[in-house]
Amino acid sequence: MNEWIELLTPSLLETLYMVFVSVFFTILLGLPLGIILVITREDHILPNSWLNQILSYMINITRSIPFIILMIFIMPFTRLIVGTTIGTKAVIVPLILATTPFFARVVESSIKEIDWGVVEAAISMGATPIQIILKVLLPESMSSLVLGITITIINVLGYSAMAGAIGGGGLGYLAISYGYHRYQTNVMIATVILLIVLVQIIQSTGNKIAQIINKK
Amino acid sequence: MIHIKNLSKVYTKGRNEVVALKDINLEIKKGDIYGIIGLSGAGKSSLIRCINRLEEPTSGDVLVNKINLIHLKNKELRKARKKIGMIFQNFNLLHSKTVFENIAFPLKLVNTPEKIIKEKVNHLLELVELSDKAYVYPSQLSGGQKQRVGIARALANEPDVLLCDEATSALDPKTTKQILNLLKNINDRLNLTIVIITHEMEVIKEVCNRVAILEGGNIAEEGSTVDIFSKPQNPITKHFINQDENLPKSFIKGKVLHLSFTQGSATQPLISQITRDFDIDVNILSGKIEYIQNQAIGKLTIQMDVDCHRLLDIIKYFEKNYVKVEVIKQ
Repeated sequence: MNEWIELLTPSLLETLYMVFVSVFFTILLGLPLGIILVITREDHILPNSWLNQILSYMINITRSIPFIILMIFIMPFTRLIVGTTIGTKAVIVPLILATTPFFARVVESSIKEIDWGVVEAAISMGATPIQIILKVLLPESMSSLVLGITITIINVLGYSAMAGAIGGGGLGYLAISYGYHRYQTNVMIATVILLIVLVQIIQSTGNKIAQIINKK
Repeated sequence: MIHIKNLSKVYTKGRNEVVALKDINLEIKKGDIYGIIGLSGAGKSSLIRCINRLEEPTSGDVLVNKINLIHLKNKELRKARKKIGMIFQNFNLLHSKTVFENIAFPLKLVNTPEKIIKEKVNHLLELVELSDKAYVYPSQLSGGQKQRVGIARALANEPDVLLCDEATSALDPKTTKQILNLLKNINDRLNLTIVIITHEMEVIKEVCNRVAILEGGNIAEEGSTVDIFSKPQNPITKHFINQDENLPKSFIKGKVLHLSFTQGSATQPLISQITRDFDIDVNILSGKIEYIQNQAIGKLTIQMDVDCHRLLDIIKYFEKNYVKVEVIKQ
């Protein structure tokens, strides 16, 4: 039992580290991006169709590239930022790049769910665009955003495991190196079980938080 | 208080142009409860939304409290909007905030100190009789209660004008009456000018002292509610007052007149006088009393067999006695 723990714990921690850092930066970049996608629409508070279209195209392009290709494709960029192209740190860069556009779309659809009448009421009270974003759009979509973040975390977890294939660390790497290259199926099964448990915990925690926030 | 001059609104979608408002002129005085009634598509919603520029008018001027809103830049417009409260058909409350926080919302926008917010909100909660619901979320309220929150929120910045965009259309008749009484009460107490748009004549009858009837982007008729009710001029007005629809076709023979008795004329037994003086038989087809802001208007539809000359004499007789006459069939 002990050797199992010794084998799995470092990889699990690496995975959690990758996921945490990537999700942190994804939210940091994706949230404003998603907000801009909504408010620059023709019928919203700061219409700017030029900016809206450019952002939309960029997001679509990034999302069209399969993650494993993207990782290889941006290796020079990754080296420029973190100084290496292998290991846990190196995976974080493509992870952020791949999930930020995804999360931006998630934010966009959450905010679009808000009844326009509520925004209009705020406009009629003389709210500034910043006030509308901070005091109406974000609080009103918070429950839906939490669910979106949950989906994003699980997505990042999946991608991070994929990164094991090209030398990223974490549970994915463990599963591939032991289970695939060394034919130790039991290690692979153990990592898969661990991933299943992780996903369950993340999803149910997300659901719970969203439920508490939701006042509808 | 509100002065609308040559206001037009045209919606353009691709090559299609839809004219919603054509050259509207209106004057709403301080303390008025001004009703704007029309069928759906008449442009009433566009009109009220042009008043605080939720919709941008295509041309014309809107003056509120002598300030021409059309010329204002963003920042000044936001400032002006704080003095124009608005309530909506769907209430448009923030679901994520409690009743207290919803009412405090406009005050927070201008960074009011917490202590003053607390004072003001509690006062407003009392005004709309919702003190016991302060920390409840909107989803737990009934429609009428939600609209009360909407009203309290609209009053938080002590506006000069309150715009009501179909504010009672989602409510049942009893709740509608309660909300209208509240609006009337506020109008009395704060001398607040209120503009109501609606498609229900009941709303106008209940609270409005003046009314404009909107049809196809034009004002078909405008005046004091009592006048409009006792002598509607326009077909669309009659439609709203619903006086020409009640009679079965088979009853409309001979000469049919529609009479409106206001205070000056209700005290005399006029019908029995004309039967005697003109030696005719009068058949009463329908009759009712309507109350317009507690003022009674008697409505009577009568039928008789007389020739045109006698008819004219009878009409003159009625009008001499302050009864408004309308000939339904001659």
